[in-house]
Amino acid sequence: MPRPLLLRLGVREGMARQFLIGSVTLGFAALIVAIAAAAWSTARSQDHGKWVTHTYEVELAVTQVSNAIEQSETVRRGYLLAGQQVYLDSYRNVAAKVGPALAAVERLTLDNPRQRQHVARLRVMIADILTHRNGTIALVQAGQREAAVRAFVNETSAARMKNIRATLAAMTGEERRLLALRDEELQASVRMFYGILALTGVLLFLLALATLATVLRYTRDLSVSRDSLRDFADTLEELVEERTADLSRANEEIQRFAYIVSHDLRSPLVNVMGFTAELDSATIAITDLIDRAEQAAPEIVSEDARLAAREDLPEAIRFIRTSTQKMDRLINAILKLSREGRRVISPEPVDMNAMIQTIDGSLKHLTADRDATIAIDGSLPGIVTDRLAIEQIFSNLIENAVKYLQPGRPGRIVVRGTKTGSRIAYEIEDNGRGIAATDHQRVFDLFRRSGQQDQPGEGIGLAHVRALAYRLGGVIDVSSELGKGATFRLTLPTMLTETDSIRPGEDR
Amino acid sequence: MNDHRSVSIVMIEDDEGHARLIEKNIRRAGIMNEITHFTDGTTALHYLFTDKNGPAMNGPALVLLDLNLPDMSGTDILAKIKSEPALKRTPVVVLTTTDDKVEIQRCYDLGCNVYITKPVNYESFAQAIRQLGLFLSVIQVPDLEGQ
Repeated sequence: MPRPLLLRLGVREGMARQFLIGSVTLGFAALIVAIAAAAWSTARSQDHGKWVTHTYEVELAVTQVSNAIEQSETVRRGYLLAGQQVYLDSYRNVAAKVGPALAAVERLTLDNPRQRQHVARLRVMIADILTHRNGTIALVQAGQREAAVRAFVNETSAARMKNIRATLAAMTGEERRLLALRDEELQASVRMFYGILALTGVLLFLLALATLATVLRYTRDLSVSRDSLRDFADTLEELVEERTADLSRANEEIQRFAYIVSHDLRSPLVNVMGFTAELDSATIAITDLIDRAEQAAPEIVSEDARLAAREDLPEAIRFIRTSTQKMDRLINAILKLSREGRRVISPEPVDMNAMIQTIDGSLKHLTADRDATIAIDGSLPGIVTDRLAIEQIFSNLIENAVKYLQPGRPGRIVVRGTKTGSRIAYEIEDNGRGIAATDHQRVFDLFRRSGQQDQPGEGIGLAHVRALAYRLGGVIDVSSELGKGATFRLTLPTMLTETDSIRPGEDR
Repeated sequence: MNDHRSVSIVMIEDDEGHARLIEKNIRRAGIMNEITHFTDGTTALHYLFTDKNGPAMNGPALVLLDLNLPDMSGTDILAKIKSEPALKRTPVVVLTTTDDKVEIQRCYDLGCNVYITKPVNYESFAQAIRQLGLFLSVIQVPDLEGQ
């Protein structure tokens, strides 16, 4: 699968996220606008309420002025007709109210220039009418009632009153007009509020739709990518299974090959060894003959014949013997490895500390002889694996460490183990002669050895160890510096299951 | 064996060297019977079944049989011998390198009388053959029917 996985799955995560964040932000902004519009609209309607109250106050004040003037007129007329003191007192009472009422109107209408003009005119007209009234009242008080009535009849008082009434009506009208204007404004603002509200609603609705669509598409993309991921995993699994089958087959093939080779190589070897033995016994007979001939008739025994019987033949036989014995050991090693590959492994819990102590005990004579100690660093984690296999691995590694010490340095071999997840890494560290870096891989090959060849062995041990490590589902490697010691690192699964190990071929 | 002259030994062994070593070591055990050697299954079967000097026509015999032959499996020869009325009582000694237990069981099932694994070490090999020779010297071989 050469293409990058995320690209293949086609999820545009970044874009979708940006769009969603944008939508939500815009939605909140729209809500804020709606709230601001509501607040503004409420403020406007409160304002309008105040103005309505103001209008009614003005109207009330105007009515009070009007009432005071009308009432004072009525009472004055009563006084003019009857001339009784009661009327006069009443008139004075009522007339006194006109001034304050007008002042109230003036105070309420300070902001309106037209009303102020009205008020100014009213003031003039009222002052005029009050002066006139006071004149007629003074006439009555002076006892000239006739003159007062005449003056009343002649006076333009009715016209003046009409003017005042008209002005007052104009003032009321003006207020009504303003109220109507303000009503209109309120209506407009309410309409605007509803407009904003509707606009926001539409915007929110559209945003919700877009967000929903995005989320849906994103979810669909996700599920598509999940499906393709699953398909990918399935393919991968199949691939792994295929490869594992191939590997098992190849491994079986090698095992079978090794078995056949080692078996068929033995057959001629038996001949070589057998006829060498025949040759050996024949040589004895010939040597015997030469000996006797030398005694009986020395002249018939040539120097060549004597040398052949006494030196050449035994030497040749000796070389054939040692070579065939070596070949036999090598074939046996291959056979052992191939048999090891066929052995059915049975996982069981293994106490590694006890196992190392057992190995230490079995190597006692060797360690005492070579001044070496075997120690466990801390405590080794337990493992579930094939007991025989892991014991062979450790005894091979430890025995190697004891065998290949640096001369003149007491051997110190340390075994330690750490558990990481589902695997355990064991280390066998020594301070021996070490392995050159070029040989780190080579030492694990069959029949290959490293360094000075002063110890018996065929170069089988580490090949065997590596084969066993693979069988147990593990790996082994070495880190070492020549002359300073070596550390073998064995990594194994904590729990060995059938699938971990490379399956052996059918037993033959 | 019954009569040292009359019982012949038929050796079926593809390796000339092995055959020679087997013969030498049997002789050393004092067995003087005639040994007829075959290196492949076809001629051996022909001799066993149809040759006028062969055991089917002429007198009792004992068969030394190797299982790894170039042209056929030794077990096929064994099966043929044991299913032929004239030969079924002929003792068959299987002498081979295979020590697989399934193969051993199969040979005994087919009627093999002795199964011996060739030791790879020569000394043991020679020893085993000599012991086989001593064993052959005391066993009784049935006569052909009607003789």
